[in-house]
Amino acid sequence: MRPFELLEPRTLREAIAALDSESARPMSGGTAVMLMMKAGVLRPSRLVSLRRLGLEGIQIKENSLSVGAMTTLRALEKSEVVRKGWPVIARTLRTLSNVRVRNVATLGGHLAHGDPHMDLPPLLSALGATVTIAGAAGERTSPVEALYRGYLDTTLKSGELITRVEVPALGRKRAAYLKCTTRSADDWPALGVAVVLDGDKPTIVVSAATDKPTRLASVEAAEGLQIESDLHGSAAYKKQLLRVYLKRAIDEARNASH
Amino acid sequence: MRRTIQFRLNGEAVEAQVAPHETLVEVLQESFGLYGARESCGQGLCGCCTLLVDGTAVSGCLYLATLVEGREVASIEENPEPDAVQEAFVERSAFQCGFCTPGFVLMTRQLLDEHPDPDDDTIRHYLAGNLCRCAAYPEIIEAVKLAARKRRNPG
Amino acid sequence: MKRATQATETPQVGRSVPRLESWLKVTGKAEYVHNLRLPGMLYGKIFRSNIAHGRIKRIDVSAAQALAGVYRVVTGQDIRKIVPEPYYGPAFHDQPILALDKVRYVGEPVAVVLASDPHVAEEAVHLISAEYEELPAVYDEVEAMTSKAIVHDALKPAGTFPDLKYLKGKTNTNIALDFRLRRGDAGKALKGAERVFEHRFRTQQVMHTPLEPLVSVAESTERSLTIHTASQSPSFVRIEIARLLGWPENRIRVRVPFLGGGFGAKLYIKLEALVAVLSLLTKKPVKVSLTMEEQFFTITKHASTFRIRSGVTKGGRLVARDCEVWWNGGAYADIGPRVTQKSGFTAPGPYDVQDVSIDSYALYTNLPPAGALRGFGIPQLVWAYESHTDMIAREMGIDPIEFRRKNLLREGRPQATGTLMKDAALEKVLERLSVLMSWEKPIERGSGSIRRGRGIAIGFKACIANTTSLAAVNINADGSVTVYTSCVDMGQGSDTAMAQIAAEVLQVAAESVTVVHSDTDVTPFDMATLGSRSLFHSGNAVKLAAEDALQKIVQLKKELSLPADAAIADVFRKKYGMRAGSVTGTGSFIPPYTPPDENGQTDNATPFWMVGASGVEVEVDTETGRVKVTRLVNVADVGTPINPRVVETQLSGGAIMQLGFSLFEKMLFDEGGQLRNASLAEYKIPGFLDVPENIINEAVVAEQRNGPFGGKGVGETATFGVSPAIANAIHDAVGVRLTELPMTPEAVFMALQKK
Repeated sequence: MRPFELLEPRTLREAIAALDSESARPMSGGTAVMLMMKAGVLRPSRLVSLRRLGLEGIQIKENSLSVGAMTTLRALEKSEVVRKGWPVIARTLRTLSNVRVRNVATLGGHLAHGDPHMDLPPLLSALGATVTIAGAAGERTSPVEALYRGYLDTTLKSGELITRVEVPALGRKRAAYLKCTTRSADDWPALGVAVVLDGDKPTIVVSAATDKPTRLASVEAAEGLQIESDLHGSAAYKKQLLRVYLKRAIDEARNASH
Repeated sequence: MRRTIQFRLNGEAVEAQVAPHETLVEVLQESFGLYGARESCGQGLCGCCTLLVDGTAVSGCLYLATLVEGREVASIEENPEPDAVQEAFVERSAFQCGFCTPGFVLMTRQLLDEHPDPDDDTIRHYLAGNLCRCAAYPEIIEAVKLAARKRRNPG
Repeated sequence: MKRATQATETPQVGRSVPRLESWLKVTGKAEYVHNLRLPGMLYGKIFRSNIAHGRIKRIDVSAAQALAGVYRVVTGQDIRKIVPEPYYGPAFHDQPILALDKVRYVGEPVAVVLASDPHVAEEAVHLISAEYEELPAVYDEVEAMTSKAIVHDALKPAGTFPDLKYLKGKTNTNIALDFRLRRGDAGKALKGAERVFEHRFRTQQVMHTPLEPLVSVAESTERSLTIHTASQSPSFVRIEIARLLGWPENRIRVRVPFLGGGFGAKLYIKLEALVAVLSLLTKKPVKVSLTMEEQFFTITKHASTFRIRSGVTKGGRLVARDCEVWWNGGAYADIGPRVTQKSGFTAPGPYDVQDVSIDSYALYTNLPPAGALRGFGIPQLVWAYESHTDMIAREMGIDPIEFRRKNLLREGRPQATGTLMKDAALEKVLERLSVLMSWEKPIERGSGSIRRGRGIAIGFKACIANTTSLAAVNINADGSVTVYTSCVDMGQGSDTAMAQIAAEVLQVAAESVTVVHSDTDVTPFDMATLGSRSLFHSGNAVKLAAEDALQKIVQLKKELSLPADAAIADVFRKKYGMRAGSVTGTGSFIPPYTPPDENGQTDNATPFWMVGASGVEVEVDTETGRVKVTRLVNVADVGTPINPRVVETQLSGGAIMQLGFSLFEKMLFDEGGQLRNASLAEYKIPGFLDVPENIINEAVVAEQRNGPFGGKGVGETATFGVSPAIANAIHDAVGVRLTELPMTPEAVFMALQKK
């Protein structure tokens, strides 16, 4: 790894100011950043750690789940608040990467990465979650769904940071997230399907087989999806997986108590 | 640019000179001669580099050493006497080449702290992030369950 | 600390002695070369070829050399200053220490950057550039037989294997070895057979991925060299380095502590020649420690194609088998020719077929080299012959186990080499498997989209022959025992086994024996720790050495007029005036062997056979092709188990490893021979969630009469039958037949679609 400068600002303003060049990179849990630096894919001259910004915390705010961006995935997984109000999130976290990764990876970092194989982007998109983003120009909010443009390509501008994630109450909605791996069981998925049922109306968001989390207007719309072949399987096979897992995810959502 | 950081390592106050890009595994090996945590896959997938920071298991090969300043680090070398988990691993022959074993021991301790009486499914999922190429997996499950019993009935 | 050892009458073999190194391993204190650091040491990072085949036009190391902190950059030309002919290999001297004139696969080492900071060395590697004149490349083993793309301009057999001598200087070929076996007249028998079946099978290139990646360290003076290396073959390393340097062996020391896994990857020369020369060039200690990714560019397992044709009577008796096997050896031969021949001769399977024809070819291709991987070619062969045998049985409406029963080789019958079967409990293993699988009872077939099925497979392996193991055993003045062997413990429990064997002879507790780790200045020659040979060969040598030491004590007591039951301490006090000294027993073991004739026929092909069978029950999700192995049964003939717990865990470990090769592991290359999945993120190996919930491992009651206390090897045995058992079970469940590994969900699903 090429040597770099590591800053640990204590305020959001300092952090944003430190991200003033193309070659400066924010770091939350650090797992994704470290992997990319070791692979030589990322060669930042400066890393800006977000861990001292006080962005952790899980709360209920007007029935919505409000999570600080630096909350670890593990804290989210073990949170009683999340287990009671959004059990599908806790269930999904159980097989998200491994315990050590979840111990350090943060929700904000997870959502900001933009790898379509990740589990929470499609699920939180389907749940209608939103993020608060801080930047030099101030604060803005965005649906999680609108964060993704393509493979490792997000709509976050340089110098912008996710500070908070909000997930609306499920109410009478029922949700499920299923993923399918095609090599070993513990692997990046070939396909992830999130389904949220509001009565009979399904919200479907597909990921992993697509280059970003992708909403389907209907089950039938799956046939028209642009899917590429890769190490996880051919396009034709992934289409088949999609057909099968769509049906199974909808069934699971129907049977979910929440 | 190296700087000196102070932290606690296996219960003792220590200091080390670290460069920003050095990982926790590298510093433990180079500055402290502790080799129980090893870099193998380099991607946080195999668990050979498992270390505890403030009591929480992390992948040491992906953890920048400088971030442990002021914190508590624990490695497999922390206990001078073998604990129930290590005894159980020996009794159930839950290792072969031994390269992944410290990682499994540390993760098992965490697992049992959270789930004192885990079933097979819980064990498999908790330890899914630790790989053993020798495939001592069945013996490891036995060892985890034996360790759980030992912890519940010490002595 | 307790003094000395108490004599004991408790049996030491046949007991599940806890591994001697248990506490070291669970406390993280076991020594691995991975951890070794020496004062003043330089780290070497390798610059590798990014093309599959080409002549080297230019290597530009200037920018790398100029980077602050870089000590030196070394290329093949620098290597030549120390070793004028820097080619190594156990069968062919075809592999250069660093590439010279040509590169032959993507990932081939071309240059090394040396620095005291490995991060600096790594950075500098990115600053090296090379220019190549690209040459056509060949990747497929069958295509390589006739391809115009020729990997080596001329063949360079090593002379270590006399049967390869005739190949010297041969040009215009990718065939490194063409092994031929003819017994009876298979062609004629096939013509006259009532039914004939022919099928073709393929296996894929995979990698061992030991969790301790390959690593070696060398330190030198003008006159001596010490190589600390993670190697399964320290004795070979010494011999080969001595040959390369033109030095006598006694100036080279090879040390091996524990290995963090081996599985055949850490054999012969891997990094040892490189670090040796680098140390001599720089006069400093040098360490080259590969990353997990780099292992994929160093040594792998042969992909293969196997065409097999059988003649069968209407009643289900095999009358002839004609086998043609192509082994994809990659760019350098490594031990491939041995795989081709020594495994090749078992290609017809453990069946009583007297008209047999085998052609087994070792091919060069422009892929990373293939060598020994747990099973040594047998899993590839069993994949084919046990799938084929099952297909025949099912096609003919004969129960798969009954078909095998009809045809299995029995004691005293000639195998394809003409060697009579001896101490190979094939029948017992098959019958026991049948019982454990409840084969007589039908299974629940499932309904809806999940279908259930079961399958079995049985395979066997000959031991590499003929090979030598030497050992020494010291009885110390206080009665404690030390064993000296160059057998390497890579997790298979060899230290413990050797201790048990010596302890049984000397009637002491196995736990009290010290086993000295391989150090060629101290431990005697051992051919290598491979191919499940060690329990038998090293074990026999240790047994002989212990017996020799015991005999010497007996003799000493007579000379000193001491009673037969005199204490050891008294013997030394009387002989040397104090309780000091030791008696050294030595053992030398090389079993009898007859090399095969030009038709592959010999009356003594192997000192022992390994027999392993597996049965599986599977659930197939017909909507997705996903296969879940719900039950895995492994039955083996290991002779008399020296350590039952170790035997059980070796069977279990071997089978689970083979599961990965069966279901998902595969090295994937693009059209330019570039590996696309060189990391554990993209090359997935079995984890907890892949392990079947129900696994049974059993060794049948058997005896290997010429083995130490009736024992023989077990390390590879459970790899034989797993893959075909799964294919047979899938067919049983859903009626589709997969003939290529790995059996991915997509492969199963596509086969279901075609049906």
